[in-house]
Amino acid sequence: MGSIKTSKLRAALERHAAISESKLGKRHPHAASWFAKRGIRPGDIRLHAARLASAGALAGAMLMGTPFISKGASFGTDKIANAPLDSIQNLFSDNLKSLLPSSVHPLNPEIEDQISRIIEEFWGIRASAKLDGEHLNTTYGYMGAEQHLPHFPGDSVSQHDAYQQSGITPGKGAWGYFANSKNELTDDLVQKEKYYVAVQTLYLPDWETRLPYLREWYKYRKVMVINPTNGKTVVAVVADAGPANWTGKSFGASPEIMAYLDMKDGAQRGPAILFFVDDKDNAIPLGPVERRNK
Amino acid sequence: MTKVFYDHLLIIEEVIAVFDLNAIKGNERKELLQLIDKTMHHEILDTILTHLPRAHHEEFLLRFHSSPHDMSLMTYLNEHAGIDVEKEILKAANTVKKTLIKEIEAAKK
Repeated sequence: MGSIKTSKLRAALERHAAISESKLGKRHPHAASWFAKRGIRPGDIRLHAARLASAGALAGAMLMGTPFISKGASFGTDKIANAPLDSIQNLFSDNLKSLLPSSVHPLNPEIEDQISRIIEEFWGIRASAKLDGEHLNTTYGYMGAEQHLPHFPGDSVSQHDAYQQSGITPGKGAWGYFANSKNELTDDLVQKEKYYVAVQTLYLPDWETRLPYLREWYKYRKVMVINPTNGKTVVAVVADAGPANWTGKSFGASPEIMAYLDMKDGAQRGPAILFFVDDKDNAIPLGPVERRNK
Repeated sequence: MTKVFYDHLLIIEEVIAVFDLNAIKGNERKELLQLIDKTMHHEILDTILTHLPRAHHEEFLLRFHSSPHDMSLMTYLNEHAGIDVEKEILKAANTVKKTLIKEIEAAKK
């Protein structure tokens, strides 16, 4: 048996790798471009898998096992509870970005389910695209900055404790004033205005035919809003309708939310995921999500 | 080595056995196996995407990208491709192995 001339073998194997890559690119150019957009080559998928497996350790240096959700995999929720917030948010963001399409558009139900699983693993909160059979037209879209909403008739922006430069809408929100008068304003209602979103109920296909039910169902409906680019997350309520489709935005959010999610750049908008929070006991507080719910 | 969901069909041990027979060791062995691995992934992906209807490509790629090791991907493929994808992957892997083993033999001095 002769010995192997490894340089010759290496050249041959490199040739096969190059030919097969080129063949894949020619036969499935969309797939090649899909991989290219994510900065990986199809032949390096094992390397990518290894990076995923080590991402947790790099991000938090404390997360065990695979950081990506899969059947039977777990992050180790106690580890998440003790990790630094920015590590958790980075890892959360990495997981979301690996699932999201390259352009901002409605997600398919399987991806939405996977995102729900990731949310529950990270934050211990049950949030989903569909709740009680209701689903917005999209759960992934651009979110734009809204003004403050008046708490009660005659309210002015000077009575809001932050982001006064954002201004206040001249009229009430789609669900009316939060309170009939200043005397009736409670801390809970103040929190609702601080952390409110506007969703496009007006474009729901059954909005007009089921108006009485849907109007009640959406009023102060608790939602989770996520900026997938940085993993920052807020629990909020629906308190206004909009924005109009022509704006190119699917959701609006209060100045407090936009600031926390770091969507306060010149464009005043950014991609966001918006899921309903399943919180029938009203146990999840409004505001930034920065620790795992127990 | 990090797993990919179709690893069990590659039976790469057949190539490793040939490497062993020819005393290919150390870093050289590692690097050559990586080249073989690349070719395998290209060919297997080509096989998968050829049999999976185009409408499901993006979803498959998303899922594959997020969890390359997830065995439920095989179920997904079988359901959406309407054929026995495992059989097709096995066939493609065998063809690649045969070709590459021939190259190993041809590289003998």
